[in-house]
This record gives sequence, structure tokens and C-alpha cells, in this order.
Amino acid sequence: MKQLVSLRDFLIKLFNARLTRIIVTALPLFLGLLATIYVQNFLEPVPILAFRMDIGIAALLFGIFLTLLLGAYFFGDESRGWFARGDMDEVRREMEESRRQFIRRLDHEIKNPLTGLQAALVNMSETSADADRHRASENARHALDRLKRLLADLRKLAELEERPLERLPVDIPALLEEVTEAVQSLPAAQERKINLLISRVPWPFPPVTGDRDLLSLVFYNLLENALKFTASADSVEVRALEDGRAIVVEVADNGMGIPPAELPKIFEELYRGVNARGTEGSGLGLALTRRIVILHDGALEVRSRQDDPRGTVFTVRLPVARK
Amino acid sequence: MKDDRPLLLLADDDPSIADTLAPFLERAGFHVLTVSDGAAALDKVHSHRPALVILDVLMPRMDGREVLRRIRRGNLWIPAILLTQVGESSERALALEEGADDYLNKPFDPHELLARIRAVLRRARPGERSLSTSWTLSALDLILDRKARRASHKGEALDLTPKALAVLEYLMTHPDECVSRERLLEAVWGWEYPAGTRTVDTRMAELRRALDDDPENPRYIETVPAEGYRFVAPVKGE
Repeated sequence: MKQLVSLRDFLIKLFNARLTRIIVTALPLFLGLLATIYVQNFLEPVPILAFRMDIGIAALLFGIFLTLLLGAYFFGDESRGWFARGDMDEVRREMEESRRQFIRRLDHEIKNPLTGLQAALVNMSETSADADRHRASENARHALDRLKRLLADLRKLAELEERPLERLPVDIPALLEEVTEAVQSLPAAQERKINLLISRVPWPFPPVTGDRDLLSLVFYNLLENALKFTASADSVEVRALEDGRAIVVEVADNGMGIPPAELPKIFEELYRGVNARGTEGSGLGLALTRRIVILHDGALEVRSRQDDPRGTVFTVRLPVARK
Repeated sequence: MKDDRPLLLLADDDPSIADTLAPFLERAGFHVLTVSDGAAALDKVHSHRPALVILDVLMPRMDGREVLRRIRRGNLWIPAILLTQVGESSERALALEEGADDYLNKPFDPHELLARIRAVLRRARPGERSLSTSWTLSALDLILDRKARRASHKGEALDLTPKALAVLEYLMTHPDECVSRERLLEAVWGWEYPAGTRTVDTRMAELRRALDDDPENPRYIETVPAEGYRFVAPVKGE
């Protein structure tokens, strides 16, 4: 029994050895060649199929065919790997570059509130007037809030990759109503009007399978952005419809619009466009939003124009739950 | 003169945290003992028997969870608060499994820590197992099996989402305590959601539907206007 096992091991090893593979691959070709020479010397050509073919040539062709087949079987992965290596290097370079870019941006995002915090601490320790101390502590708190928000969003991004998504039926119209109401209760949005349009005829929306809380974050972020980058005279609209396969939600505004050159970059982590300089935010909102949509097998797109009629439309497509 | 202030053991390897939190807690009326690693924390627990331990999760020599596990294994029911480094949900679930009475995600407001310390101490019955270390909790007709992640009401299994179940778990381990929506978010969701307070309300409505609990006349969950929620039924742990 033991011998049998070791014999089997030996055969497996032999079969897996590179030299064996090369020999086995080349063997049909070699045998075909031998057959060609041998047959030409001893046998008359015989008709095969419709045209006359030497049996030796047939053996050679068969050998070539078999060699190619075995070669593909044994060495296919290797050659594919060899061809793919160039692409891999390219991908790796891109990843490396985006990682470096992320660190540069992170450095920038941390630097500013930290500078504010440092200055506030100096003010606090060097002044004795109560009003000044109070202002300094307010500034410190503000800087701290910015840092905390950045950290919280970074954590969300990291956690999205790690924790399992809740997969339950989500009623999108109800969610949109809830989010719209929540955004409008923000102090900065009290005066603003958001038009919510949900098509309900001829049938109600089917549910989307997903994580309700994360999806609420998607619409919240888009809506908060729409309010942030529009003036109080501009309109903000949320519209939802269903096309049988997906629920499509658009968050639209007629605000200042996004420069065309920035459009491909706005979903990048910590990217800040010209509009976003000087506004509050972690710079991670859209990256988070897109990540959540992708985790739900959906798609997020943006269209924007800066010349009249100007404005921005974000479109979220979420596949509906299959029965 | 004997010091009758409650003794807190604070274990955190970061000196900037221990150095700033300790005076703050002293000012709040506690006596604070600080250590910078897990093994030292375990020693001090045995030698000083503090009223409460505050453990950082990531510490050299022995992490906070392991310290807590060993404390509990020795049948010591000293109340414990875990300071978690990352808001991972697995970590929060674990914190419960190791028998922490509460947990707080870094970074936190020191006043929040103080509020938790006071609440945990108020709840603690010296020498007795706390609800946080019990696997089965029951209140009136409601039974929550924490290990199996199942709840039943009047003998019937409840169909709850995992989040709603976790909310119920948090409320039942903190009975008769006003729990704010923000705190529930932090404890159960792990992150702050911008529309978070509504998120909590949605799950609370789900729980109330399942428990057939009338918000106007609650048997289980009471709404504390402008504050949060309170689990009003008496809870027993096994």
C-alpha cells in the first residue's frame, strides 16, 4: 500500500515536472515526423478523405495539432501571464500613484485644521481676557470637529470594504422622503426648498435589496452637496423613476456647475475641485457615495454644465430586487 | 483619612490620553489609577479591586479584551468600559462578548466618558453579574438570546433586522437609562450618520411594531422627548 502511494506520488511529480511536460508536448510532433519519413520509404500514398494524402503527412499534421493542443494545455497560463505582465506593471504603477496622491491630499487635509488648533492653543495660553480665551476655544473646537469628521469618513471608507453589507428590501421612495426631510432640517438648509418627484403610476416602486442606512447616506450626501453648491435662489430637485430593471434617482440642481476638467476626478478620495475650496466637508463624500452604490451593484453618473442653462445632475441606478 | 472616592483603573498605553483623562476624572470626584499596558492592568485589578476599569483595546503585552476576558474568567464582575480604537462592528460585537458594560469609540469627548462611567456605576450591583455579561435577557414577555441572535415575544420568534436586534440588545443591557440617539448610533452602527437620528427612529418603529408596543403607553420602550429612548421594563439576566 505504502509503495503504491509513493508510486503515485512519483508519477504525479513526474507529470508535473517541467521537462516531462516539454517532452510530452513535443512527442506527437516528433512521432509524426518519424512516421512521415518511415511511410514515404515503405508505403504507397493512399487516398484519405476527398483528396490524396500521404499517411505520413497525415501523421505529421496530427502530430503538429496534438503538440499545439498539449502546449496550450501545459503552457497556456504561462504565456498569458507573460503577455499580461505588461498590463500588471501599468496597473501597479497607477495604484502606486493614486496611493501617493491620496497621502498628499490627506496631508493637506490634516495640515489646515491642525494649524488652526495650534494657533488656538497659543492664543489660549497667551491671553488672559475671557472673551479672547472663549474665541480661541471655539476655534479649537471647530478645528477639532473638522479633524473628527475627516477621521469618521476615512473610517467609513475603510469599513465599507470590511464589514458585510446588510441585504434587506429597501423602500426607496420612503427613504428619499426621510432623507429630504433630514437634509432640510439642517440649519443651513432651513430656507431651502427641495422638490421631490416620485412617479407612482401605474405601480409602486419595487424594493431594492441593500443596506438602508448606507443607501440613505448616498442620497444624503448628494442632496447635501446640491444644497452646498447652490445659492438660495437656485432649485434643487430629487426625482425617482423605475424602468423595470433598476430604480433611477436623480439629484439635480441649477447651481454653478462643475468644470468639465474636474468631472472625472470628483469621485476620487479627498479630491477638492475649485468649487469645493473653502467649503466645509471631508472631501470623501462622493468617494463614499460611489463606493456604496457600486457595492449595491448600481451605477453613479454625473452630468454638469457651467454655461447657460447651467447645473448638475447626479444619477444613481440601483438594480431592483429580483423575485 | 480614608479616601472614599470610587477608584477607577484607567489602562491606556498612550501617555497623552492617560495624562489628560486622569486629572479630568479626578476633578469629577474619582480616584484614578493609571497603567500603560494590559498585564499591569490585570495586576492592579487584583491588588486594588477598583470600582470600575477603563480599558483601551490596543495595548502592549496584553490587549484590553484579553484583560477583560481574564477578569471575567476569574468571576470578577468589576464593571468595565472598553475604549475601542476603530469603529468596526466586529469589535463592538466582541466588546459585548467579552462582557464590557459599555464601550466608547476613540476619539471621544471626555464628558461622554464621564457620563458612561456614572451610568455604569449606577447600574452596577457590587459582586453581581451585570446584564452585559448575561447571554439571555428577559423582560415581561420578551426574551433575547444574545448568543443565537434571536428574540421572542409571548413565545413567538420575532422577525427583526440585525440592526433592530442590536438596538434592542443595547437598550436591554442599559435598562431604565435614557439612551440618546447619538449614543445608539455610535454603539450599534459604529459611525455617525448625517441623517442618523432618523435612522434610529426607523429601527425603533420596527422594534415597536414587532413588540406591539404603543409609544403613547409603552410597556418596553419609552420615548424621552428631545433626549432619546428608555427601556422601561425590568430586565433579568441569566
